Amino acid sequence: MTRTTLKEYGWAIGIIGAATGIALALRPYLQTIDVAMLYLLAVVVIAYRHRRGPALMASVLSIAVFDYGFVPPFYTFNVHNTAFFLTFVVMLVVAMGMSELTGRIREQAEEAAEGEQLAAAQYTLSRELAAASSLDEEVAIAARHISEAGEGEALMLLSDPAGSGQPGNVGLDAVDSVTVRVAARMALEQRVSAGWGTTHGAEAEALVVPLMSSTRVMGIMIFYPHSVEDLLSTQRRRVIEALAAQAASSFERAQLTERHERARVEVESERLRTALLSSLSHDLRTPLGSIEGAASSLLQGSGFLSPEARRDMAETILEESRRMTRLIANLLDMVRVETGALMVRKEWQPLEEPLGVALLRLDERLTSHPVKTRLPDSLPLVPVDELLIEQVFINLLENAIRHTPPDTPISISAWPEDGEVLVEVADEGEGVPEGEEETIFRKFHRTSSADRTSPAGGSGLGLTICRGIITAHGGRIWLERNEKGAAFRFSIPLDGPEPRPLPAEVVED
Amino acid sequence: MTTASPLVLLIEDEPQMRRFLGATLRAHEYQVVETASAREGLAQAAGRNPEIILLDLGLPDRDGLDVTRELRRSTRTPIIVISARGQERDKVNALDLGADDYLTKPFGVPELLARVRVALRHSSFATGSNGETSFENGDLKVDLVRRQVFRAGEPAHLTPTEYKLLAALVRNAGRVVTQRQLLQEVWGSNYAEQSHYLRVYMGQLRHKLERDPTRPRLFLTEPGVGYRLVD
Repeated sequence: MTRTTLKEYGWAIGIIGAATGIALALRPYLQTIDVAMLYLLAVVVIAYRHRRGPALMASVLSIAVFDYGFVPPFYTFNVHNTAFFLTFVVMLVVAMGMSELTGRIREQAEEAAEGEQLAAAQYTLSRELAAASSLDEEVAIAARHISEAGEGEALMLLSDPAGSGQPGNVGLDAVDSVTVRVAARMALEQRVSAGWGTTHGAEAEALVVPLMSSTRVMGIMIFYPHSVEDLLSTQRRRVIEALAAQAASSFERAQLTERHERARVEVESERLRTALLSSLSHDLRTPLGSIEGAASSLLQGSGFLSPEARRDMAETILEESRRMTRLIANLLDMVRVETGALMVRKEWQPLEEPLGVALLRLDERLTSHPVKTRLPDSLPLVPVDELLIEQVFINLLENAIRHTPPDTPISISAWPEDGEVLVEVADEGEGVPEGEEETIFRKFHRTSSADRTSPAGGSGLGLTICRGIITAHGGRIWLERNEKGAAFRFSIPLDGPEPRPLPAEVVED
Repeated sequence: MTTASPLVLLIEDEPQMRRFLGATLRAHEYQVVETASAREGLAQAAGRNPEIILLDLGLPDRDGLDVTRELRRSTRTPIIVISARGQERDKVNALDLGADDYLTKPFGVPELLARVRVALRHSSFATGSNGETSFENGDLKVDLVRRQVFRAGEPAHLTPTEYKLLAALVRNAGRVVTQRQLLQEVWGSNYAEQSHYLRVYMGQLRHKLERDPTRPRLFLTEPGVGYRLVD
């Protein structure tokens, strides 16, 4: 018997004593039945305040005292009037009934309070799990919550996400204690909690709870209590197991999501590979055919070919190999954009600089299209990766050259707006067909007007790469409706650490 | 040019590329020693005393930057490094280690010959000289001795910083100069990371000295590497 239980019995005896005192003091004014009522009241009070044991003892004790002191003949346990037996029985039944009832109510209240605590813990856990972005993060969150709620240290071991379900695959080697390893194996094989505080492998210093998905054991949770001497109360075990079960179902969802995502990426990359292959076989084979043909004519027909014809063939070889170089560069850029390997090295610079490089690089091909640039002197420096932004200009300009008749102008302008710099590359061609404003940014998309067999034909990657690069800079790129032709706009946010101001300079004049 | 044609040392592992470079250079009256590895190249550099070295950065037996460093320990012979697109870091590092210029694959014959010519010219200056002192191309005329700059016959007014930047480019006319080298020369080594200074001043030079500053013909940007004054 513990100290608290003893105390409760003491209280019960005290209350019966008090009732006896009151009854003795008021004896001249009380009927015997009133005294019985007084004792009943005392028993009810005890049943309400304490457990069943003290209440039962109190009901027996009160009947004894009542009989001894208040039922004639007084001060003996003898009873002359048999009617009093009925009183005793009623008293006993009422007292026991009361103690049973109040005891049950108290238990229910306690259970409700415990349930509320568990519900609150489950609620905060589910809220944090919902906000997690990966399985690893979920595991960390669940371990922290269970450690806090269970007053110990929780460790989650999951089997491989592919789900071979082999019980050995949770990485038990990482667990030092032999007893815990034994308990863990039991938990995995028998799918019940084992170890500390249970009937399976109780000598382990940790509680092992299997983490069950709807179909399999997905891992285990090992819970090391702060103090192994503690008994595992039903309530504490219920909290730990409930949170572990909740975490397990969340892990299962996360694993499913990750698996779906992987599958989606695989399908997508499979689709890309197929498109890439068909594009490659066509776009690489065509120029290769021309190169091979021209080169073999040059070799075999050295004696017969006129100087003009020789020159023609050499030019074909040069043009076609440049086309292949461009295509391969585009493919490599595409791969970098796709795989997230795009490294953006931003440096503050005048937009004029990457634009100047792009214009120079396209010099030969731009002879057919006059270029008008309008960059105001007040245009701020922009934080961009010069090589990438140069590529954006090149792709947009190549697009404009490809889709507009010779001698139509291309205009490039830029202006600051709301913490961004907006850049526009506009042409005066036939524009983009209605409804294709978004699809043109897709991989391998070619508008119907672009002839893929013409030497100037694009790879269908240019705009996709532009979008990848601009997005990596935190900006947007879109097709602006334009009555004259196509106008592509992109934005560059002016964010990041401000450039150091230029040192002042005395101007000699 | 001297009576004996200059000797070019070629360090390039790809046979096709070596064949193209060797044939082109021989056709333009250079003598060529072809090597296919860093080991062989370093041995020939020491034994044959070439006047110019063409070094591929992607050799199988040794890192190209390492080879540059080792060559620079023993010789001042101009080095032109050859690299693939997307290796801007390597190019800059090679240039900062003492290489004179670079070529990005694929490149054409005119580009190759121009680089070789400029590199040979710079190496022919007497040791200790700071490079060229005058420059003339198209509209632009610069005399570093008299500190005079003319554009289309008219004197151009430059700020002291603009002039310092122009002078640094003129001394290296035709050659690429890395951002770091220019920043150190004009602003000092504390400013080696402030590339936007350089870009802003380069823009100002273009606005004062180029016909169309948005389509520069003289002050070229070598993206990710530096600048080149076209001679």
